[in-house]
Amino acid sequence: MSEVDLRVNFAGISLKNPIVGASGTFGYGKLYEQFYDLSIIGGFVTKGLSLKPRPGNPIPRICETPAGMLNAIGLQNIGLEKFINRKLAGLESVDTAVIVNFFGETVDEYVQMAVKLDKLDGVSGLEINISCPNVTKGGASFGTDIDTTGEVVSLCREATSKPLIVKLSPNVTDITRFARVCQDNGADGLSVINTLTGTAIDIAARKPVLANITGGLSGPAIKPVALRMVYECYRAVSIPIFGIGGISFARDVVEFIMAGASAVQVGTMNFVNPHILPELVSDLPELLASLKVNSVKEIVGAAHHD
Amino acid sequence: MNCKVLENRTIARGFNHLSLAPDKPLGPIIPGQFVMIRVRESMDPLLRRPMSVAGFKPDGSSFGLVIQRIGRGTEILASLAAGDRVDVIGPFGAGFPEPPGAAGELWIVAGGSGVAPFVGMLQPATRPVCRTRVFLGARNSGFLLCADHLSDGADVFLTATEDGSAGVKGVVTDLVERELANGYAPAMIFACGPAPMMRALEKSVSGRDVRLCVSLENRMACGFGACLGCVTKLKTEQRYVAVCRKGPVFDASTIQI
Ligand SMILES: Cc1cc2nc3c(=O)[nH]c(=O)nc-3n(C[C@H](O)[C@H](O)[C@H](O)COP(=O)(O)OP(=O)(O)OC[C@H]3O[C@@H](n4cnc5c(N)ncnc54)[C@H](O)[C@@H]3O)c2cc1C
Ligand SMILES: Cc1cc2nc3c(=O)[nH]c(=O)nc-3n(C[C@H](O)[C@H](O)[C@H](O)COP(=O)(O)O)c2cc1C
Ligand code: FES
Repeated sequence: MSEVDLRVNFAGISLKNPIVGASGTFGYGKLYEQFYDLSIIGGFVTKGLSLKPRPGNPIPRICETPAGMLNAIGLQNIGLEKFINRKLAGLESVDTAVIVNFFGETVDEYVQMAVKLDKLDGVSGLEINISCPNVTKGGASFGTDIDTTGEVVSLCREATSKPLIVKLSPNVTDITRFARVCQDNGADGLSVINTLTGTAIDIAARKPVLANITGGLSGPAIKPVALRMVYECYRAVSIPIFGIGGISFARDVVEFIMAGASAVQVGTMNFVNPHILPELVSDLPELLASLKVNSVKEIVGAAHHD
Repeated sequence: MNCKVLENRTIARGFNHLSLAPDKPLGPIIPGQFVMIRVRESMDPLLRRPMSVAGFKPDGSSFGLVIQRIGRGTEILASLAAGDRVDVIGPFGAGFPEPPGAAGELWIVAGGSGVAPFVGMLQPATRPVCRTRVFLGARNSGFLLCADHLSDGADVFLTATEDGSAGVKGVVTDLVERELANGYAPAMIFACGPAPMMRALEKSVSGRDVRLCVSLENRMACGFGACLGCVTKLKTEQRYVAVCRKGPVFDASTIQI
């Protein structure tokens, strides 16, 4: 029996398989070494990093919802400098793709981050998180303003020659407009999707459960929405797409790939089952073989028929 | 880690004691550490539930849980029967620090399911070498959980009930106040229970030379440091730390309870 080829070249990042840990659910990687050898997985995306450390939001920050969860972590992170000094060196010996997710509070901060990250050898690619409040625009998210999105992407593009991926917010009317703007301004790939804004009410206390009032919905509950957005983006752009949202089983991975993703990221399910990534890596070949598929590449976008 | 339910007993109205046998023996457990339990193989409820390890066989072949039924997850756990299987990961967290040496005295203050970590701490194999004074509080005598077990392991065992049906009438922290006023001076106090109990304790010991260590029960999504959902605020710095990794036991002087 011939082996199924799981390798993917994602916008210049070589992944040994299409299974990647999603930002904010994977820490800075090392955490998962208590569960498995990181070289088994295709790669992981770091917690969103900023120039300076950020304390994050007040508590409560999380709330379980049907087949999902809301989070309002508030982008708590150790800051770029500590990441470089304390975390990155420890990842040198790990044979997996390290993608750094980053954000700024101003356009200039995004660019400064891209300049600094460009110089780091251990970093395989950059993922811009545009779902961050823009302090110069009264706190509205960068990722819901089409013009600022274009500006951030084009300036970061000038600042780095590393593979540049933009993580799109689903909290917009037409995600394909944002996908096109990213491609037009030089993005090498897209990550689709970040969390969907939601809330929950504590009926005994008569107030929202989360201190931040709203939070981002993730987990199996969002899979159909994410899949639809990947499907739409695949038709709108030619750059590769990371499919993200509620992935729990190998068949979810195949659904995302057929909808147009070249690889996937898994987030919330790492909390439920910290061994999920290696389990997906080992389940995928058998599932693909049963579908008479020889390689991941061959089914990217297979659900589109025109 | 797959576990088989050995026994499920109702120990008070709304409280169950579960004994679990893991397929592979559990590593060494420090009292105060917890496990994350997937209450059932489905997407709803999705997240694991954190539970303190309440006593364990020294060889790791079985361990206990004291479960307060307060919602869907704990109701499902409490409905498990001997022979059922559940998926457990852990143990996680730092647990309680080393108790004082033989010359010191340790006070243990527990309310509700907060007895759990002390069941393990006071079992013969892991009992501290120092003198221990245990304070157990409840609504009434029917809710003094694991009282036999704790009193066997303690040098002095004191109880308080809100209706006076056992021990002193009042809340457990009144009892602590009384013993402090009587001139007894512990080197350390370990506490686990509702937040108001721990805040009251913090007040009682303020200005005294005693180290208070509290076990927090913040909401958790992962239990191992990946989500940053469980954090608590430091007292000294404008910074949050993950309760699941740096805690769940903290020196009360370092964090906001
Ligand atoms: C380290 C640690 C150790 C624990 N040890 C034990 C133990 O030994 N025994 C035990 O019975 N419980 C323990 N808990 C608490 C236990 O995890 C929760 O009670 C349980 O997760 C609730 O699940 P549920 O599905 O039954 O309730 P849910 O349906 O999730 O919630 C029921 C109600 O309780 C509220 N609630 C749930 N969790 C919390 C929370 N953390 N803080 C405030 N409100 C909350 C919800 O908002 C809701 O109103 C521990 C928690 C932690 C973090
Ligand atoms: C607790 C938590 C923290 C997250 N933090 C980030 C972050 O810092 N940056 C980012 O781009 N996405 C972040 N995300 C979004 C995830 O990377 C992912 O896009 C989303 O959760 C959907 O995937 P899932 O359903 O598999 O979790 C976070 C998600 C969760 C649940
Ligand atoms: S519960 Fe996820 S970081 Fe503590």
